[in-house]
Amino acid sequence: MAYTIETRNLAKRFGDEQVLKGLDLTVSRGEIFGLIGPSGAGKSTLLRTLTGYLTPSEGEVEVLEKSPSSFTPKDRRRLGFMPQGFVLYEELSVRQNLNFTAGLYGLNFWKRRRRVRETLEFVELWEHRRKKAADISGGMQRRLQLAAAIVHEPELLFVDEPTANLDPILRRRFWEEFRRLREEGRTLFVTTQYLGEAELCDRVGLLSGGTLVAVGTPEELRRRAFDGELVQLILGGDPGQLGTSLEALEKVGRVAEVRQNEQSEEATSLVRLLVEDAETALPKVLESLNGAEVRSVDVPKPSFDEVFFRLMKETSETV
Amino acid sequence: MKIGAVAAKEFWGIVRQPQLLLLLLVGPVLIMVIFGLSLDVQSILQPRAIVVVEPESEGAELFEQYRYKFTDRTDFVGTTDDLDSAQQQLQRGEVDAVITMPSDPLESVARGEQAVMEVIYSTINPVFGTAVPRRSYGLLLSLNQSIVQEGITRNIGDVRSAQEQIDELNRQFENVDAAAEALASEEAQEETAELDESLAELEESLETLEDAPGETGDEASTTLEQVRETRELLEEVRAAQEAGAEEIKDQTGASELERTLADLQSSLAELPADASPQVLANPFRLEVENLAIPPGIVGFYTPGVLALLIQHIAVSLASLSVIRERLGGAYEFFEVSPLGAGELLAGKFLTYFGLVLGSNLAVAAVLTVFLGIPITGGVLTMALAMALVTGASLGIGFLVSALARSQLQAVQVSMLLLIASVLFAGFLFPLGDMKGPATGISYFLPAAYGIRSLQDIMLRGEGLSYFDLAGLLVIAAGCLALTRYLLGRKKT
Repeated sequence: MAYTIETRNLAKRFGDEQVLKGLDLTVSRGEIFGLIGPSGAGKSTLLRTLTGYLTPSEGEVEVLEKSPSSFTPKDRRRLGFMPQGFVLYEELSVRQNLNFTAGLYGLNFWKRRRRVRETLEFVELWEHRRKKAADISGGMQRRLQLAAAIVHEPELLFVDEPTANLDPILRRRFWEEFRRLREEGRTLFVTTQYLGEAELCDRVGLLSGGTLVAVGTPEELRRRAFDGELVQLILGGDPGQLGTSLEALEKVGRVAEVRQNEQSEEATSLVRLLVEDAETALPKVLESLNGAEVRSVDVPKPSFDEVFFRLMKETSETV
Repeated sequence: MKIGAVAAKEFWGIVRQPQLLLLLLVGPVLIMVIFGLSLDVQSILQPRAIVVVEPESEGAELFEQYRYKFTDRTDFVGTTDDLDSAQQQLQRGEVDAVITMPSDPLESVARGEQAVMEVIYSTINPVFGTAVPRRSYGLLLSLNQSIVQEGITRNIGDVRSAQEQIDELNRQFENVDAAAEALASEEAQEETAELDESLAELEESLETLEDAPGETGDEASTTLEQVRETRELLEEVRAAQEAGAEEIKDQTGASELERTLADLQSSLAELPADASPQVLANPFRLEVENLAIPPGIVGFYTPGVLALLIQHIAVSLASLSVIRERLGGAYEFFEVSPLGAGELLAGKFLTYFGLVLGSNLAVAAVLTVFLGIPITGGVLTMALAMALVTGASLGIGFLVSALARSQLQAVQVSMLLLIASVLFAGFLFPLGDMKGPATGISYFLPAAYGIRSLQDIMLRGEGLSYFDLAGLLVIAAGCLALTRYLLGRKKT
């Protein structure tokens, strides 16, 4: 199967500093791939290597089945790029800026005219088209930058930290727009330092210290971080029976955490059980607790902060 | 405290940019050092001159006699007998002046006319262009002074010497006259006659004794011989005495000499009375001709200001353009797009080219209309020269932009280029009066070609020289190609 993006043992050095260390990565057509990691992890370097702005020190890179270093202008028309900051021209109007970028991608006058309008409407900036870029808000500038990246309808869109410093409402809107683009069949490669945004991607790569710690769907990563799924139970009744209940639960999964609450009038216990698959394991859990007072059963999804932390810890222990 | 914090922040911000510091400190110092090494003040004061002389003529002799005056007062290039080739050298700018020596200066003076020394030069520079006529007049004055001084010294000596000799001869002639008069007197004639008689008696007596035997006869014979010789000489004296004093002087040649001396005295007395005092005091006069028509001070500096304006605006705009986008992140956006480095450069070039050329053509039009600055070589030729200067300056600006690390660096380089152009491109000081490193630097300054071209076209009515055309094209093409290469390089 031909991937939209494929790297093999990709490494990048700046002098003595090794920024990327032997990355093996694939991104399929039509998916949103999120590259997540803390500042300085090497996300922008990887993205710049994939766009052909930087050349790799070692390894191989293929984007749209070609090495980025041998991209022709025709190949580049298939790419879109949204840099971290607003890099367009503040002295130009919203429409002039978009006209300019559409021209860079070789759109003729009529097509440009149509696409500029469609794109500005898509990012909800059509009403502000005559305003100078300097006179619109930071959020609008980021949307204008996104419009500049998609005005030529690229197959593959590279987006570098699109939601950095944006408020949660705007961040959500951006992700809605990314999903709409994916629904149009485009592939998105998105870097972000917001771990929570991993949830919004089809597949996620965790990058730390230039190493790809883990790659997979958000669920896969969660399972990998916790060795399965969590089932959270609150048990009431006689605390003396708790031991019996735990023994029964051990037969279905692994008890990860037990916390007793003795401060309330009625003593309760919180039990977190790790199972392979929550959906299939849940009936068995309830069956094994026959006779015990089950106050509540929940299948919580641990935050990606926690997932990331566990995976990082796991990796460092392995190393 | 707050001001101190701001000041400290600004200070460290600058100190942590070593390249900027280098430009701020070393750049101006370097320019002034080069300026000091390159400005040839002597060259400004002493124009390069070639002297035209007719071989083996009086003028050539006189030139050789006073050659040191030419070499002292000019940057003497040499002599030639071909006026046309000397003028061509002048037109090519290889010499600043052509001095033509008259072929027969002394004959002119003898005719009572001043000999004419012709000087031609060609300059439109109203500031430094006066060196040729100024030095020529200095040379003329010195030449006249020396010739007159030497003439007077020699003549006075000759006259004095001749006069003394004549006086001596006259004294001697007075003695000769007296002697001749004395010899011709009656008294002298009587005494001579008496002496002759006494000698005749002695001769008879000695003839008698001559036959005596022994030593007496021999002695008498010898004495007799002496007496006879004396009588023969005395006979000549008596003959002269009988002829008179005049005959005595004629025979000795004294009369003829006396007449000659009288003629000489008369000639010496007559000579100064015929010569004109003007010619005697100034045997040479000067005819100076400037082949170019110098404009006023504003007119002269207008082409230079235009060339400097074009260069500075173009370099400033271009040097800031790429660096601004590189630092702002737009350049990375371009790198991912299909836009090639050459296309980016061409797009920028077209806009700036039109903007800079258009605005400066408008400035030239305003200057022409309101200040009456001439464009004698034609508007189209001027526009072509301005277009070439604009292209070359944009090339340099883009190259600066590709190399600079910050906008401040780019601005600083633009300023240094402007200062260098004012000093080394022929704006303040003629390029021909520069030597050493400044000459080399001027080859890389579009303003140097621009100032020369625009002065030629606007003020001299000439066309654009092939040298300037080629120079500007090479700078533009070289810088743009290098910038294209630098911008197109893959980041490693």
